[in-house]
Amino acid sequence: MRYLLSILLCLLLSAVPSLAEGPAEARELVETRIDAVMLLLQDESLDKAERDVQIIALVAPIFDYPTMAKLSLGKKHWPQLNPGEKASFSDLFIDRLQQSFLEKLDIYTDEKVLYGEPLIKGKKVHVPTTLVSKDSRIEMLYKMYRAAEGWKVYDVEISGVSVIQTYRSQFDGVLSNGSIDDLLEKLKTDGAFTITEPDEAGS
Amino acid sequence: MGRVPRNSIKSLLLLIALTAFLSGCGVHHSRNDEHVNDTVQQETLAPQPFEDEFDLEDEFEDAASADIIDPLSGYNRVMTKVNDKVYFWLLKPTASGYRAVAPEGARLAVGRFFRNLLMPVRFTNNLLQLKPKQASIELARFVFNSTVGILGFFDPAAKHCNLQPYPEDFGQTLGYYGVGSGFHIVLPLLGPSNLRDTIGLVPDHFLKPTSYVEDSEVRLALRVYKQVNQTSLHIGKYESMKKDAVDLYPFLRDSYEQRRNKQIEE
Repeated sequence: MRYLLSILLCLLLSAVPSLAEGPAEARELVETRIDAVMLLLQDESLDKAERDVQIIALVAPIFDYPTMAKLSLGKKHWPQLNPGEKASFSDLFIDRLQQSFLEKLDIYTDEKVLYGEPLIKGKKVHVPTTLVSKDSRIEMLYKMYRAAEGWKVYDVEISGVSVIQTYRSQFDGVLSNGSIDDLLEKLKTDGAFTITEPDEAGS
Repeated sequence: MGRVPRNSIKSLLLLIALTAFLSGCGVHHSRNDEHVNDTVQQETLAPQPFEDEFDLEDEFEDAASADIIDPLSGYNRVMTKVNDKVYFWLLKPTASGYRAVAPEGARLAVGRFFRNLLMPVRFTNNLLQLKPKQASIELARFVFNSTVGILGFFDPAAKHCNLQPYPEDFGQTLGYYGVGSGFHIVLPLLGPSNLRDTIGLVPDHFLKPTSYVEDSEVRLALRVYKQVNQTSLHIGKYESMKKDAVDLYPFLRDSYEQRRNKQIEE
């Protein structure tokens, strides 16, 4: 009896840490990567283009870009694309996503990033962070799932607005009224999607 | 109305203030408590990889199925364009000029002053949403910042005690009690809103001290100044956000509704 109990106890003890590792590990991944990104962003001495390349390389391992590309079109549209279209869509979309993410981190943070306790959502983990600047705080939530190679981000929410959800509705809008070529055309426009007004390209 | 026993109101306020002060700087830690319940559900954590990426899709909705009632879409599109022009042609140049002459420290202080003035809106709506802890933090912030923080130009409550504001408005209060958003309306100058949140502006208006300034010109000037000051601190954000839009109006509409739903959930 005692023997059995000790085995049970041993099993339990060994099981607990591995279970607890999940969300903590996910948070740790986000924290180390984003902190490193913040250091690069605040480093004025770096050339912007070079800095961006470094940052993108830094966060790439924790983002599941191919999945994000698929999710942004969804079951409804993704399977309709031929392999060539899938490839060019993914390339353009991922590029857009990276640029946009970088810019958001840069614009909304001039002090620091705070990391909250990870939340378990079924099989997924949400890592809440707060981008602190001098007069505002923006909530940025990293939604992660366990891929074969470890925790990966499949969506980011900024102030409660899901990036993937927003792209989905928009891409669905384009594809309902046009073709994949129209969408690719829009994605190709450098820096921003083509909106009617030419006067506000911004910097 | 005048019959409400003064003493009981007084003692209630005193009690709230006392609670806030006694819990003092420790209050903010409770923010993290909300997460504890979720973290406890360890059993759900067996690492089971998803079979394919579309397993993740459940939480997203198809744009088509999430039909937003939008009877005003024609007007809304026009107003979105108008607001966009107002921003780029009027507000942004004014705010940029102001930013060039007024040092950032001063603009931040002005922003804090106006935020402090809006405390009655946040306080009341927190109370209405039965969030006494957040309401008392708002009250403590107000007392602390209006005195030590010199009329709210500084925010020692956030800086030294990490007491952050809890923005709540009447639109959120209505949402808290289950009122649906109604159709989307783009308001002139104010931007995206919906029926519920537009109605919510009325009670909030009466909770703003600035609404009681008698001279209507001064009132207007205050509003404009507040907006210019606010914009001067956030130049570039709207532009950056716009880059993600394929079509500006539905993009702003969906982002607004998503954000509001999230705020109401919290």
